[in-house]
Amino acid sequence: MLDPLKVAIDHNLVVISLTAYVVGTLVLIGYFLTRSELLKRIGIALAITACALQFIELGTRWNMTGVWPLTNLYGSLSLFSGMGVLIFIIFAARYDLWLVGFGVLGISAIAFGYATTWNEGYMPAVPALQSYWIKVHVPLVIASYASFMVAFVVSCVYLLKLYAEKRFGSGPALRASVAGAGGNFSVAIEQSALRTSMETTIARTETPHIQSAAANGDAFAIWLAGLPSLARLDMLTYRIVAVGLPLLTVGIITGAMWANEAWGAYWQWDPKETAALVSWIVYAAFMHLHTRNAWRGERTAWVSLVGFATIVFCYLGVNIWISGLHSYKM
Amino acid sequence: MAATHTERAPLSPLAPLKGLVDEFLILFANIGFAVSLFAVWAVLTLIGVIVDQNKGADFYWQNYTPALARIVLRLHLDNIYHSPAYISIIGLILISMTVATFRRVIPARLPALRAVKIDKIPLHAEFTVSGDEGDVRSRLERFFAERGWQIRKREFGGDEWSFIDKHNWARRGVLVAHVGFVIIAAGTTVYWATGYSGQFTVLSGNTATIPQTGATVALQQFGYRIDPVVTKSGIVYQPIDYVSHAIVTGKDGVAHDAVIRVNQPYDIDGVKVYQATYGFGITFALTENGAPVAGVPTTPLKEGEGFTIPGTSRSIEYRSFVGTIDRQTGQPGTDPRPNDPGVTIQAFDGDKPLGQALIPLGTALDLGAGYALTPQKYTLYSGFQYRYDPGIPLVLVGAIVLLLGLCISFYFLPARLYVVVTGAGRSWTVGIAATTVKGYEIFEDRFREIVAALRRVEDEPRPSAEPAPVPASS
Repeated sequence: MLDPLKVAIDHNLVVISLTAYVVGTLVLIGYFLTRSELLKRIGIALAITACALQFIELGTRWNMTGVWPLTNLYGSLSLFSGMGVLIFIIFAARYDLWLVGFGVLGISAIAFGYATTWNEGYMPAVPALQSYWIKVHVPLVIASYASFMVAFVVSCVYLLKLYAEKRFGSGPALRASVAGAGGNFSVAIEQSALRTSMETTIARTETPHIQSAAANGDAFAIWLAGLPSLARLDMLTYRIVAVGLPLLTVGIITGAMWANEAWGAYWQWDPKETAALVSWIVYAAFMHLHTRNAWRGERTAWVSLVGFATIVFCYLGVNIWISGLHSYKM
Repeated sequence: MAATHTERAPLSPLAPLKGLVDEFLILFANIGFAVSLFAVWAVLTLIGVIVDQNKGADFYWQNYTPALARIVLRLHLDNIYHSPAYISIIGLILISMTVATFRRVIPARLPALRAVKIDKIPLHAEFTVSGDEGDVRSRLERFFAERGWQIRKREFGGDEWSFIDKHNWARRGVLVAHVGFVIIAAGTTVYWATGYSGQFTVLSGNTATIPQTGATVALQQFGYRIDPVVTKSGIVYQPIDYVSHAIVTGKDGVAHDAVIRVNQPYDIDGVKVYQATYGFGITFALTENGAPVAGVPTTPLKEGEGFTIPGTSRSIEYRSFVGTIDRQTGQPGTDPRPNDPGVTIQAFDGDKPLGQALIPLGTALDLGAGYALTPQKYTLYSGFQYRYDPGIPLVLVGAIVLLLGLCISFYFLPARLYVVVTGAGRSWTVGIAATTVKGYEIFEDRFREIVAALRRVEDEPRPSAEPAPVPASS
């Protein structure tokens, strides 16, 4: 018999954290649009609170039932949203990336909201899931999905700025700037400043049309100019994928080890396994493309978007719509 | 007058072949080509996720539109992962990786030690310092050495250059990752060459033999636990445990008690035996005008098995076991546990289906023409999977090496600093520039930190060459 007090705590934690995600998303949308420092601070507080409460909720569930709370889509999606926000907070704190928080919190809110529709209550684990591997494999894979989600949001912002730049102008100058975003950028040290103040700032010449329009007082351009540079967004996408891909690799390896223990083969061409392989291939392609100057930037941003689409398919499409060993179909 | 002519070396008969080989090597070492192969690999794999695999042709005709079923069967998309196209693409990727490894990854050594135009490198800085030349140089050297940088010096055009490197070993990360991938491929090949796998089912009290080794598995008892769980959608019957208690005998001829559960395989002479499925075998009795009919199987039938009614063209197939019959509707209930069990059977006349029926256990079904069929009792059986895969350790090692290579490539950034000190007397200009294997942007913050730290160190007050005056009191 479950402790009614803990059940009530669990329920309230779900409600409060989901509310905090929704409100945090709205606040961070406000910050994205207005760059208000106050909204940023409130958004950060809400993101941290929601994330912490969600992990506490999962812990409460585990404590209450003794079952690792990742045996169904509710627990898995719940961890995904919490992990996504956690990874975002770490990157945002390190690289001042709070501007893209609205996207991460928004997706987390949707994922968590959708997760609650799969919350069937407190169920014991089926025999296949009664393994210590669930405590290793599932968090690793979910963490990789969460990383790719954050990379997806950063890539979206990258493409927003890039296509806005394209709209603000065209011609050879633009082409040079787009190539610049790919790493072959025509950067120039502000030498006078450097020689006097010793600051090593790379002058951003990659979005000349936005800068030019901003100088002319275009409000949208001024707003766009306040976003991180294209090169920085590209670099951050790379860094986040560089976290997600090893996690996905370890996730697939531990999944194979678990499969070898449970099903008698480390690789069975199960739809989930193969869909994860598709995602791995796409992100491996991303990493290969990123080694070439000409491919960095726009193309790798699109690969990041395609990669996240394969993650969504692998995560939800396969589990819900395709029959297999990972199926959630009842 | 002697004619003059230039003698050309005779063209080697292998020259055209060499050109072809060179073109092949250039193509296969190309990153764009590798990524194209990745894209094809991903698409083929995705097709295998979406299209049901390893089903009979009837399945596709019944479940897909005729056009789609035709495409699936004509293009052999029903077993895509073992199709020549799929195996070929993996082969091409391995070749591409090998060629790229030898032409790109291994030759990628340290950049040459040579003077550069500092201000042409995007990441650069310049600042002035004061002091004796020797002091300035030794301070710079100490600064970088204390931070783990490797320093080499060369003189070009009268200027002494310092080439300062970090994480050079990480330039081999891609090589390590590629080696890991090859080891995985080798491990899977070992299984393909020497491994085997299979399935078998054993009724409680019976014995099965693994044909490749002769090992036997005598099933003493199969047990299961299915609990009703109250959920928001109603009661769900949740499986909790499946366990086979068996006596296994390996090559040594010694019988061992074995408990085989899901996630807990049993090892017999290197062959792992896994709990895979279970079911209810049914013993049927057939009578004709009340008298037992000879020729009907006396052993329990498993789902999908059947028998022909002796002397007729008719046959009976045991379709499925029903744990609990809903007596109100006469249909199968939701509880799979054998509380009020029955079986569904399908009757055929030749290949033609005649009808289906749900028969409670112990109840006779009138088949017509004096025949009656009675499912008498059930016997639990256990389904096992077995596998011998000597390639697993190799695959595991390969996976770890692959992961190691990824981590080296992603988390350690080989960087080169070019430092030159120019000037005269006590005023010196330090020029510093940085390059990395992953562009400039990724190192920008770090470069700024290095320059700032260097600047702080240089700005720190240093003891003068002449002794400082001693305060009268401290």
